[in-house]
Amino acid sequence: MSNSKTVLDETPFQTAGPFLHIGCLPNAINIEGIFDTDLGVKPFANKNYDKFITITGSVFDGDGKALDDIMLESWQSDENGVYSPECGFARFVPDSLTKKFNLYTLKPGFINNIDGKVQSPHILLSISSRGLNMTLNTRIYFEGDDLTNDPLLSNVKNSRNDVSSLIAKKIDEDIYLFDIFLQGDRETIFLDI
Amino acid sequence: MVEALIKRNLKTHPQLNFPDYKSSRLRAPKNKKISFSSTSTEISGPVFNKDIIGKLDNDLTLNFSKNNILPIGHKIIVFGTISDQFANPIEGALIEIWQANAAGKYLHHNDNNTAPIDPNFAGCGRYITSSKGYFEFITIQPGPYPYPNRGIEWRPMHIHFSVFGKSFGQRLITQMYFEGDPLINSCPMVNSIYDEKAKKSLISTLDTSRSNTQKLLSYKFDIILRGTNQTFFENRKEGL
Repeated sequence: MSNSKTVLDETPFQTAGPFLHIGCLPNAINIEGIFDTDLGVKPFANKNYDKFITITGSVFDGDGKALDDIMLESWQSDENGVYSPECGFARFVPDSLTKKFNLYTLKPGFINNIDGKVQSPHILLSISSRGLNMTLNTRIYFEGDDLTNDPLLSNVKNSRNDVSSLIAKKIDEDIYLFDIFLQGDRETIFLDI
Repeated sequence: MVEALIKRNLKTHPQLNFPDYKSSRLRAPKNKKISFSSTSTEISGPVFNKDIIGKLDNDLTLNFSKNNILPIGHKIIVFGTISDQFANPIEGALIEIWQANAAGKYLHHNDNNTAPIDPNFAGCGRYITSSKGYFEFITIQPGPYPYPNRGIEWRPMHIHFSVFGKSFGQRLITQMYFEGDPLINSCPMVNSIYDEKAKKSLISTLDTSRSNTQKLLSYKFDIILRGTNQTFFENRKEGL
């Protein structure tokens, strides 16, 4: 809280490794009977499912291979742009056969930022896996929304020409596609959050 | 005034592109990350209620045991505190840990090592820090194990930690090592951190202050999450 004290170094990241499910999603790999449920299975457990959208996609490595030994986490506001500590967090993994992830969630609303500006609807997405010495963070914005005044997208445009890797494509009613490219010509923009 | 996250010092963190760690070659992004001032999105985050934590969630020697048979290996205590970069303890932080058993084997379908699984040990635990940011786990000393990298290499003994603070921008995933382990110095994952002090901060210290009463060796591991600064915004609307 105080600005006058010495600033300590943050504990460094290390890779989550290939066995992260044991600690983060044990029930998903059939380690049952320890934790009742895995965390973040439903981001809005108490909300009406009719209003939910689906975000689907894959995470590709530098060889274009879709990965399944990774963990994704998402953090978002509700449909009114309000953040609440008790909801809005999800944790999920790609399907081992299709290599696609599916996030069923509320479409977030426009968010009043701490500086008084308005952020366009978005979801913060993190990726942890073997081979990643630090968790990666990016944002999912939505095709069809007004993105012209979003402060982060404006900031990104100052250093990169193309912000399309941050915008999910609408592929059907209430279904969005968001593929993530870790490397290559289409490398996703990652954020130092 | 609002609490904004202070900028992350990437010099005390690992390099993403570190070819000595072979798995990073096809996964580490090549472009620089975009920096920006923290927004409502990063300064908020999920907070977990203490009632999700079961009685044995932080005792890995009992939370998967069958008929009260203890897992094989040296029983140890791993304890410490979670605080922010201004040394404020963080109460209510969720810690999740996972690790190999005493033989260096994970209870996971992708672990191809030939070491045996232990039917009484799953290797997962969790805890929510108390008022002074304190946490404690009872577990089994994990074994080192071989893995394919530049040929076969050996991981030092370690426990994986995942931590949620008060905001998503404080989220941390890391590994704790053990004082005196000769495999630490040759580990490419450790060496992906260039700052020697930062590297050393991942090594837990043998702390025998509690060992005699509990008849267990204990290791101390303190964790520091991102700090927050009070920031004033001139153009902040009334009531926000």
